[in-house]
Amino acid sequence: MTAPAPEPVLIGRVTRCNIQGFAGGIRLTEPDRPAFGALCRAPAQAGRIYVIGLIYEISIEDDDLARQLAASDEPAEEARLDQQFVRPIPIEIRALSVGYDDGLRYVYDLPPQPPNTLANIYALTAEETQRFTASFDYLPLVLAAPQLPTDSLLTAAFRLAAQARPEAERRAFLVSAGRECARLLSRDLGRLNNLVRSLQG
Amino acid sequence: MSLDLRQVLPQVENLGLQAAQRASAAAARLPHLERGLIEAAALDREELLRRLAAAPATAHPARPTDEAVDGSWPLPPHPARLRILAADGSQVYPDRHGIAFFYMVNVGSIDLPHGAGRPPHTAIRSDLHFADEDLRDTRGLPIDTHLINARRDAAEMRELARLAEGPALSAVEGPALSAVEGTLALLDNGLLLWAASQEQKASRPDVQRVLDDYLQALDRLRASGAALAGYISRPRSANVVDLVEAAAGLAPAAAPVTDRLLFGRRLEPYARSARFRHPARINDEFASRGHEIQFFYLHTGAQDGIARVEIPGWVADDPDRLARVHAGIVEQCRDTGIPYPLVRAHELALVGQDDRRALDNLVQAALIRHGVTGLASQKAQTKRWTSRRRRHHL
Repeated sequence: MTAPAPEPVLIGRVTRCNIQGFAGGIRLTEPDRPAFGALCRAPAQAGRIYVIGLIYEISIEDDDLARQLAASDEPAEEARLDQQFVRPIPIEIRALSVGYDDGLRYVYDLPPQPPNTLANIYALTAEETQRFTASFDYLPLVLAAPQLPTDSLLTAAFRLAAQARPEAERRAFLVSAGRECARLLSRDLGRLNNLVRSLQG
Repeated sequence: MSLDLRQVLPQVENLGLQAAQRASAAAARLPHLERGLIEAAALDREELLRRLAAAPATAHPARPTDEAVDGSWPLPPHPARLRILAADGSQVYPDRHGIAFFYMVNVGSIDLPHGAGRPPHTAIRSDLHFADEDLRDTRGLPIDTHLINARRDAAEMRELARLAEGPALSAVEGPALSAVEGTLALLDNGLLLWAASQEQKASRPDVQRVLDDYLQALDRLRASGAALAGYISRPRSANVVDLVEAAAGLAPAAAPVTDRLLFGRRLEPYARSARFRHPARINDEFASRGHEIQFFYLHTGAQDGIARVEIPGWVADDPDRLARVHAGIVEQCRDTGIPYPLVRAHELALVGQDDRRALDNLVQAALIRHGVTGLASQKAQTKRWTSRRRRHHL
């Protein structure tokens, strides 16, 4: 008997978007928040495609109750624990479009249309992450993104993609990722050096 | 913006002026009322009761208990570990212009183990009511909002009873929180079921059913050993002011003064007033079922200062449960002005616009699956078109 497929985890609803990326908000508890460098997907074109996003920013939005507690002399311990572990906090995630799923395969290019407002954003499951990162064809989109912490983002993305794989395959995956970066950054040795060092660390 | 502020401006000015005049008149009356409270305390109890019975019909004077009406009680010590429960509810009323005729009651609750070093446990219970017997009262008329509110109040009380009867919970795994020194259950409201307090409604079988349900939950809470309190922030009632005026043989004054103003002068931070018996007639039925409702005023030490706290007689008669109410509420008001668990229960219960839209979508999908066309009325559609602000940018 095979294990049931894991339920997709909702990590946001699209609030604004363009072809190059999308942002989404939601209230989540601390254990449910996505990680920097994780992959997510949001439907576009009436659900015919899923835009794949690489999360490059996670921000905790302003919250009046948290601000009130922060301003008190010493918040009660139970209130602090509630805020940190139980109460869903409004967060915003921003993701860079790194491809899309057209229902048949992953296309490593910008999507034809962005997701719609309030489209659900789901974290990619480990299995989906493995399949999407089986190719490194999305890397040029990341390296070309302006004003993003690209090197740290790639390091985090490679680590999470490696963790989505069986332990025996992780090192080989990271070596392949390093090789692909070496090919793409052959004219920027300083940057390549940083990236490889981060991956080794 | 459709509000013409130029039209409203003079009215707002008048509002401010009248508020200032009322505040000035109230301030002038307060010293007399304060003296009157002390004089009422000096009266023989029988004489005080006789004067209260002779109060005009428009007055609703509080009834004295075994405590001196002008007394105040300092903050008792807080237990090292106290389990605090809170529940609050919200509702979606039936909408004849909506895609289907139903109503929903949503109750949020929190189980907060003070002093245990563990995060609280929260829960939301959402109940959709769509059966014919849910949507019509016993006269066959469409259910009114008062009855829905009463059912919501009963659901809140049941939720508190359910939590109080179960083990202390936390959002994280760990040893059972058995070492708590008692439980305090809080509601964000008075404890008398308001719908049942209206005489013309109290006799209706559907209201009686809700009242029975509510009183049974009170029975369970009493049996659980929990202390129960209803917390009323910024109360506008004047039952003690009415008591003072009736004791002095005065007719209710034209310039109303609330009990909050009176006790704002008398109570030191964290102290409580004497307990009083709630004067509402429905309290006789509560009393006959062992749940006479009393109240006191409490200086929470927060910005809003004076809160009204309602308790059943079985809390009033038990010094340990009464101390739990007094100390527990003051402690929980420290960070948020009103008890923190009530703030969170309210947040959990609230059905926001997004939730409402999601619920409508689910209902619509279910209708379509069963071959029913679920469309909002044309009027609802047009309201939706015109109520949204225009957006010119993303």
